[in-house]
Amino acid sequence: MFRQLSERFGRPVAMAILTLLGMWLMVMVTLPQLQMIDYSFRPNLLPAQLGGPEDVWTLSNYVTLFNNEIHRAIFFKTLWSSVLVTLLTLVVSYPLAYYLAKVATPRQAALCILLLIIPFWINEILRTYSWFIILAFRGPLNEILLALGLIDRPIRFLSGDGGVMVGMVYAYILFMVFPLYNAIESLDDNQIRAARDLGAGNVRTHWRIVIPHAKPGIATGCIMTFMLAAGSYAVPALLGSPGSRWFTQIIYNWFFEGGNWNQGAAYAFLLLVLCIGFMSLVMKFFKVGLGDIAK
Amino acid sequence: MNSQRLLAFGLRFYIAVFFLYLFLPLLVMAAATFNDSRFPTITPWDGTTLRWFGELAADSGMWQALSNSLLVAVGVLCLAVPIGIATALFLNTVSSRAKPFIYALILSPLLTPGVIIGISTLIFWRQFGVSGGIFLTVLGQATFISAYVMLMVMARLQRFDRTMERAALDLGASQWQMFRRILLPYLKPAILSAAVIAFLQSFENYNTTLFVVGYDTTLTVYIASKVRTGLTPAVNALGLILILVTVVLAIAYEVKRRREQAAVAQSGQAMVLAESQEKA
Amino acid sequence: MDSNVKLDEVVMRFGDFTAIERTSLEIASGEFFSFLGPSGCGKTTILNMISGFLRPSEGQVWIGGEPMAGVPVNRRPTAMIFQNLALFPLMTVFENIEFGLEVRGVDKRKRREVSERLLALVALEGSGSKLVTELSGGQKQRIAIARALAVEPRVLLLDEPLSALDLKLRQHMRAELKAIQRKTGITFIYITHDQGEALTMSDRVAVMSAGRIQQVADPMTLYRSPRTGFVASFVGENNRLEVKVIDREGERVRLDGGALGSLMGRAGDDVVLANGQAAALYIRPEHLRPLGDGDSGPRLETTIEAVHFEGAWLMLETRLEASGEKLRVQLGSELAKRAAQALEPGRQIDFGFDPEEAVVLPDDGSPMVDEATGEVLEVAPGGNAKVGGEHVPSA
Repeated sequence: MFRQLSERFGRPVAMAILTLLGMWLMVMVTLPQLQMIDYSFRPNLLPAQLGGPEDVWTLSNYVTLFNNEIHRAIFFKTLWSSVLVTLLTLVVSYPLAYYLAKVATPRQAALCILLLIIPFWINEILRTYSWFIILAFRGPLNEILLALGLIDRPIRFLSGDGGVMVGMVYAYILFMVFPLYNAIESLDDNQIRAARDLGAGNVRTHWRIVIPHAKPGIATGCIMTFMLAAGSYAVPALLGSPGSRWFTQIIYNWFFEGGNWNQGAAYAFLLLVLCIGFMSLVMKFFKVGLGDIAK
Repeated sequence: MNSQRLLAFGLRFYIAVFFLYLFLPLLVMAAATFNDSRFPTITPWDGTTLRWFGELAADSGMWQALSNSLLVAVGVLCLAVPIGIATALFLNTVSSRAKPFIYALILSPLLTPGVIIGISTLIFWRQFGVSGGIFLTVLGQATFISAYVMLMVMARLQRFDRTMERAALDLGASQWQMFRRILLPYLKPAILSAAVIAFLQSFENYNTTLFVVGYDTTLTVYIASKVRTGLTPAVNALGLILILVTVVLAIAYEVKRRREQAAVAQSGQAMVLAESQEKA
Repeated sequence: MDSNVKLDEVVMRFGDFTAIERTSLEIASGEFFSFLGPSGCGKTTILNMISGFLRPSEGQVWIGGEPMAGVPVNRRPTAMIFQNLALFPLMTVFENIEFGLEVRGVDKRKRREVSERLLALVALEGSGSKLVTELSGGQKQRIAIARALAVEPRVLLLDEPLSALDLKLRQHMRAELKAIQRKTGITFIYITHDQGEALTMSDRVAVMSAGRIQQVADPMTLYRSPRTGFVASFVGENNRLEVKVIDREGERVRLDGGALGSLMGRAGDDVVLANGQAAALYIRPEHLRPLGDGDSGPRLETTIEAVHFEGAWLMLETRLEASGEKLRVQLGSELAKRAAQALEPGRQIDFGFDPEEAVVLPDDGSPMVDEATGEVLEVAPGGNAKVGGEHVPSA
């Protein structure tokens, strides 16, 4: 590897490249993850006990989750809700991505993309916060519904999972729209036209032509959205209530309130396994590789 | 045909609703800044005021958080941009049987939840006696932002015509001179874009930062804590300012990008013109 | 300064594949030398070994009497014109031309003097401040030449630099390149698959096939006296007839043409032809003349299949009645006028040729060249294997 690099860039640059890459992959990416996994298999000990007879590998941190009914429930709720958020986002994004890629004129599409990018550049916390204002007990949404006579009493939107999911769809929608758009855009228009000429209806055209072609985009969007949703801390913290906690919040509590980092590391590792598991499933289901995702 | 038209209309209607959904919350938040109410809302409207900007300016915690955020962002730039460039160059140059594995490793920070990057960074540095703070925030954020930089640099590098390199060497340039004078100038636009994106990513990061920031505070962490405790429309004022700054930045970035594309198209036209004169 | 190039027992292998078979060759100082061959014949590999992008597996390259082993690309006294020109798109014309001087640390004033002078040489004065993306194809071509000349190379290497231009411009640039070479006196090594380019510009041409140099000669000799079947069919057009040697007297060879009867030809230079050996007789289309009833000598009886009017000449596609093989005939307008009434498909016509102009070469199993496209089709196994009983007289 060094030979190829130094033949192209000369020794100093080659050395710099390998140093930077090695430092990043070792010190920032790999070793911390391994350390976290190692941590999750060790008991929470006092500094004096480290290296002592009790400092051995154990599954006890994982057993804790298994035995704690509340944490278990939150883990699974996080899983299902994230899947739901992913599907919702997919459904909401697909028509938009299709419009941008195949219906809009180039000028319209360029304008829409600019409009899409702007909120994308704005802080996730601020975007979530704006929903906090809208969904507040005495906020505009309740006021409008009351004024329209649709409800008699204001609704506590911020106490269940509903608010959290609305906020998540809002926060992560662009991670779905752009991969979908890129994938659909590369579809040859003639294929759609040909399907129409052959008498295929709208639904069938999408189901048989557009969606199969957009598979890598759908996979990428789903993987990113699920990862962001399952790993989200800001949205449930801002839009949820103590009754609708997210798994990330449990992890946070182990670290900064329970003071049990080993336990927290075990939970974090489970979250990582969850995301990797989802990713592998999606990649297998859509038959796409890592290379397709990185586009 | 009629149902087709109905469908097209439905799609357009949907697009309109979608953009309303995208922007309405931001407008509501912006509007609440000017409401003379102790709590950030637009209902009821208690009169228009600018006092929340004044309160924001007087908030020393906010200024401290802002300067921390800028410091972190600069630190992240200094780490992530060189790492991202180096990684792109590596992937573009090296062919080895280990490459798919290395590639997966390089992409992994993009597919790992931010909280986990924060947690693993925090745990890893504990053994060296480093606890949460600005330093770890920089490291944690740079872990995944480097991968974004790599993707953006890579996209341009893949379109590089390597005969340029050969030509430079053939004309007597050393490898370093080739790198300095040919390759880096070619990558410059991508590096600048990547730097802008990296800065923003760092500035607005919450999930990773939350675990590694320790007793320091970045602006995003500050806003989140304000929302949960001691919420006043001063937060909206801050939000509004940040939104305006990002919108201006985003538009400027987009305009610059389009102008560059237009310039390319124009020089192409000049070439066609020169070509046609040659034939005449 | 001596600027000859010597390939000394050079071999180039990539893994199991031998791209260049053992080759020795000397190119003189100030010569315009071309490597001509179909794509994949190894000519670009040779250029890359001279420029230093490739290190030969065996043997050595010498430039100006100095061994080049261990001398990297950027220290060699060569400069290359790339097929896609490889101008630096982000730089102006000046910056492009001056790049080689800049990296050598030449000061700015001196650099500008050189580039102004070179712009004048390639007739592009005043366009130094333009971006190269604003130039036309022909202008880019000239800037690429100026950029290469700026570093005062002893040898200029040109890798099919004209292939991207349209026909008219290409022909114009041929003359210009030749003029520049004469003016500067630099050794030019030119690579092409276009025989027109090689023949018009070069002092000498090396014809290559399958990693081997088939023949090195000046264009006239190459055309008149090909040494191998490959050269005979690749350079210019040739009709190939399968024959057997009866006997030889000096250059004259008497041949048994099978069903075609007895034929005559001139032995190729330095070729060994034993009596009874299988051989090939090459007759160029323009060397065939229609025969009247009274004319003597070898007579090729054909039927016309197609007539193509090419302006200054006519091209006839005919078939030999005796053997069924194709024979292409090119008739100048005078000849065509005389034979006009007989020139239509289906008519029978007899042709003769001057044995002095028909070359006899041993049947060496050279690659077959597609007559229409000039593409190399395959290496015929064992040379005349396909001839079989068809052509051998059954007597």
